[in-house]
Amino acid sequence: MLTIHLSIVVFLPLAAALLAALLPARVGRWLVVGAMAGVLGYAIAMIADYEAGTAGLKYVTDDNWISELGVRYQLGVDGLNLFLIALTALLWVPSTLWGAARISERPKLFLFHMALAETAVLGAFCAQDLALFVVFFDLMLVPFYFLVGQWGGGDRVRATTKLLIYTLVGSLLMLAGAIALGVLSAGGGDISFSFAVLEQRTLGEGTQQWIFCLFAAAFLVKAPLFPFHGWVVDTYRATPTPVLVVLSAVVSKVGVYGFLRIVLPILPDASAYFQDLMLVLAVFSILYGSVLAFSQEEPRLVVAYSSIAQLGFIVLGIFSLTDLGSQGALMQMVNHGLVVAPLFFIIAALSARAAGPATLEQMGGMALRAPVLAALFLVVTFATLAMPGSPNFVGEILILFGAFDDKFVYGAVGILGVVLAAVYMLRIFQRSMHNRAGPGVKPAELGSLELAAILPVAAVVVALGVYPQLVLDRTERATTTKVAPALTAAGASDSEISEAK
Amino acid sequence: MSATAYGWVVLAAPLVGMLIIALGWRVLPGRSAGWLGSAAIGVSFLASVGMLIRLLDSPEESRALVSSAYNYVETAGFRADLSILVDPLSVFMCLVVSGVSFLIHLYSISYMTSDQGFARFFAYLNFFVFSMLLLILAANFVLLLVGWAFVGAASYLLISFWYRRGTATAAGIKAFVINVIGDVGLVIGAFLLFDATGALDYAGIFAAAPEVFAENDGKLVAACLMILVGAFAKSAQLPLHTWLPDAMEGPTPVSALIHAATMVTAGVYLIARCHPLFELAPTAADVGAILGTATLIFAASVALAATDLKRVIAYSTMSQIGYMVLGVSIGAYGAGLFHLMTHAFFKALLFMGAGSVIGAMSGIQSLDRMGGFRKAMPFTFVTFTIGALALASFPLFSGFFSKDEILAYALERGGLYAILGVVGYIAALLTAFYAGRMVFRVFFGASVPEAQELERGQLAHGTHANPATGEEEDTDVGFPGAEHHIAEREWPMKAAMAPLALLAVVAGVLGIPGVTDTLEHFLEPTFEGSRFAEVHPSTSAELIGLAVGGVVAIIALAAAYRYFTGDPQARVATRERFAGVHRVLINKWYFDEIFDRAIVRPVAAFGRFGRTVVESAIVQGVLVGGTVGIVRAGTSLARSIQTGELRFYAALLLMGVSGLILYFLLVSS
Repeated sequence: MLTIHLSIVVFLPLAAALLAALLPARVGRWLVVGAMAGVLGYAIAMIADYEAGTAGLKYVTDDNWISELGVRYQLGVDGLNLFLIALTALLWVPSTLWGAARISERPKLFLFHMALAETAVLGAFCAQDLALFVVFFDLMLVPFYFLVGQWGGGDRVRATTKLLIYTLVGSLLMLAGAIALGVLSAGGGDISFSFAVLEQRTLGEGTQQWIFCLFAAAFLVKAPLFPFHGWVVDTYRATPTPVLVVLSAVVSKVGVYGFLRIVLPILPDASAYFQDLMLVLAVFSILYGSVLAFSQEEPRLVVAYSSIAQLGFIVLGIFSLTDLGSQGALMQMVNHGLVVAPLFFIIAALSARAAGPATLEQMGGMALRAPVLAALFLVVTFATLAMPGSPNFVGEILILFGAFDDKFVYGAVGILGVVLAAVYMLRIFQRSMHNRAGPGVKPAELGSLELAAILPVAAVVVALGVYPQLVLDRTERATTTKVAPALTAAGASDSEISEAK
Repeated sequence: MSATAYGWVVLAAPLVGMLIIALGWRVLPGRSAGWLGSAAIGVSFLASVGMLIRLLDSPEESRALVSSAYNYVETAGFRADLSILVDPLSVFMCLVVSGVSFLIHLYSISYMTSDQGFARFFAYLNFFVFSMLLLILAANFVLLLVGWAFVGAASYLLISFWYRRGTATAAGIKAFVINVIGDVGLVIGAFLLFDATGALDYAGIFAAAPEVFAENDGKLVAACLMILVGAFAKSAQLPLHTWLPDAMEGPTPVSALIHAATMVTAGVYLIARCHPLFELAPTAADVGAILGTATLIFAASVALAATDLKRVIAYSTMSQIGYMVLGVSIGAYGAGLFHLMTHAFFKALLFMGAGSVIGAMSGIQSLDRMGGFRKAMPFTFVTFTIGALALASFPLFSGFFSKDEILAYALERGGLYAILGVVGYIAALLTAFYAGRMVFRVFFGASVPEAQELERGQLAHGTHANPATGEEEDTDVGFPGAEHHIAEREWPMKAAMAPLALLAVVAGVLGIPGVTDTLEHFLEPTFEGSRFAEVHPSTSAELIGLAVGGVVAIIALAAAYRYFTGDPQARVATRERFAGVHRVLINKWYFDEIFDRAIVRPVAAFGRFGRTVVESAIVQGVLVGGTVGIVRAGTSLARSIQTGELRFYAALLLMGVSGLILYFLLVSS
């Protein structure tokens, strides 16, 4: 077993960025990217070190932080966040590399914000104390506000305003929920925000329900799910590619991760109570996102709406309140991140080759001159539409089996999303790669930067498709323990209903 | 080497071939990609023979072997290994698939020579064969699904192989989406079985099924119907058939391999594989038999009127698969699979011949433009005619024995099945007629200019156009190649067609009533314990069936000869007399139009509605008024749920947030 100090992992990017601020941009750039690669190294070491079937937290850091309020600085890794940390580490490297190479306006500041964002996201994933989680969760807002606002394209003011309002409202609601949770669960005793302590304490059903609403609002906006996605269109349009990659692939997972880490184990009765509502939202998001995805002309928006559908699948899995469903949901969080990242890089590559503005109208026929681009795009397309053999299929089939188990109708309606995914993904592939090239299309093979950003992630997708058990082995114990309380609560309320009958 | 070790080789060879070609396409010289790809499939075929020998060496009761490589997915009670099942059924399928695939690879080396995507073609083709063999060898439903979807993907890639053609890419998407519908059916079916039996592997499910399911158990019937959705989407049976005719956009070897000989028979394989379930759920089996019969007569009727040579063969494929589905649904497993094999031979042969003719026509596929190729293309003429006679089940050709075995079995079971059998004979009449129609219209009658030129030794090279739209194509940048190739001039094409022609004639010897039952006997261990094992038409009944089938075929062929080589005016007159029928047939019974109105347009309309109405309501409405409203509602909700001081603070905080939002709105606007 390795000794890993999670504080180093979390703050390494930020520290490197601060140091880089003192150095010339050329050197500083590599320092930051190097630090991020270091985080990736740590993540790989953790996966290798993490034995299948391990229960409980590893590499725990636990110190007093604000003892008056019972807030602790508590970090730890278990099956639930292991692969999300790895996903963060993996995707920040190509994104930052891309940004460092392509962004000429105030590059140092850009790198600083990217690094700060990584630290915040890693902190949110690692935090084992609710107050600390909230701090990191809100800290994420800051760099993204600047990244979209300063380096965005198009109507970036509108985009940042919406992004800020939506996520700020969510954050503040969650803050209120977190305080309430800590205070009320203490019942006059010692206040604690530690997840481990909160899981042991019990809350009245009514209290659980309104706290649930506060958390759900925050997480659903972050994901986002219908109808909390008002910020998506403008943000996805305006955000620069490297930022969009991490925003969509990683940050959106913090929300759904929160359901598994916080909501299900700490508010089990409320989770069971709101199960059907959440399933309806999930299924509606799947259908709505999928249908809208195939009526979009901008590839970025196709992926934006498809993400709403994908996040719908994840929530479907979580709120099936079954072991299978949440295992599938966790797997799918990783998978969605892994396919969305190369998709956005590919879309950036397509836009650079398009005849005019980046719409499907202005593309077409690129496969002829760019076969490598076409091949990588194809692999990612098939994975995104969850073709059997891809890791996404494993995620989706587990989610669906979980949903079918007790909530067959939701699963059966949700599965239509699989068919629709085939339509919208093949549509953007065909419209950009196939048919005849339009007059202004400038097809060219991938450049080295593009290849460096896309190929490794695509390779990880293929590898996980061959051996998905790598993830499932390590996550199983954690997810089943997190779901168990809600599962019991749902079972109890079901038997109450049948008794009443 | 054990049988399962051979099994892994069967899978590995095309995978390795695909990887080498895909990664080395830039450096592979000349036609080497084609030879590499063919060699890989050759290895697969030899390894399949190895499996066969090992299996025949072992006693009959130990002829079902499972070998597992590693645990593919294993969590929370869900378990699926990467494992293969080697038994008589899978070995039989492997032999047919790898054997026919090898010959089609060989054919393609010539046919695709001048195509710009030569290496890509063979990478896809090897990938397809790998997927198909995976589908066959999979020992559980999850791996089956992987193979199932991979063949769908390969089919998509090969249908839209000439991706500069809009018609080809549209056909590819249609095929893929309908196949995904099938996948979804299979996923639901697999769940229902998993839920009841707790297993995903065939052995576990089949062992538990009689324990947990009563006969015609609702859940089991549902599971079997879902499996049928999968099978019918893949095998182009009603009503999931509309993609197959469009799939003819792919290069002709693809039509021969995927859309005739192998992939489209996967549904038949699946029903045969799941026979213990269908026997427990006779209702589902009956649905399969009825839809199979409906397909076989429907498709035969459309094949009478279609004018595109490849589409005629495609409808014929649907129709013949209908026979197979009928067979395996009523318990005639040996007969259904026998027909699967003979059909693979003669249908691949027919497509290869069609490819040769289309080559001579420089890409034109319309029967209306063809005629008189008999002298110009003697080799193609002979082999194509052999294929057509086997299709028409002309006496002593292979299709003669295999088709009649199915129908005799249906009659033997009586009742509903006897009616289906009679429909089968009526369709046989149509089959022989349209088989004759193809031969007589292509090879007989007045020679078209292309045929005359060819007789003078000149292969026509017209301008290159999309046969579906007439749109001209720029062959300098490929897709499809500038030159065409005919069997008369290319030895690999001949080498591929000759063995198939031979097999199309003689493959019947594996099941001559009263004389041989080699195939059925070999397959017996797989279908041991079938409740229909004892149902057997008597030899005399089968011989009578054969006599009837033979007479039907001869009459229909004679009629076709008179009709198509006779007075053209009479044909026009007949068509006008039956204008209404002709219109229905030429429009393929309007299935495409119905689906378009019932499904495609409503979904698209919903998408437009979402984009224009719902989105603007959310983006504008929720942002400006809604957010504040939601926050207020949340506050009052919290108030109504909970009393106490903390609630008050939370509410205060929320109102603070509302203020903040208002501030931001003012600033931003």
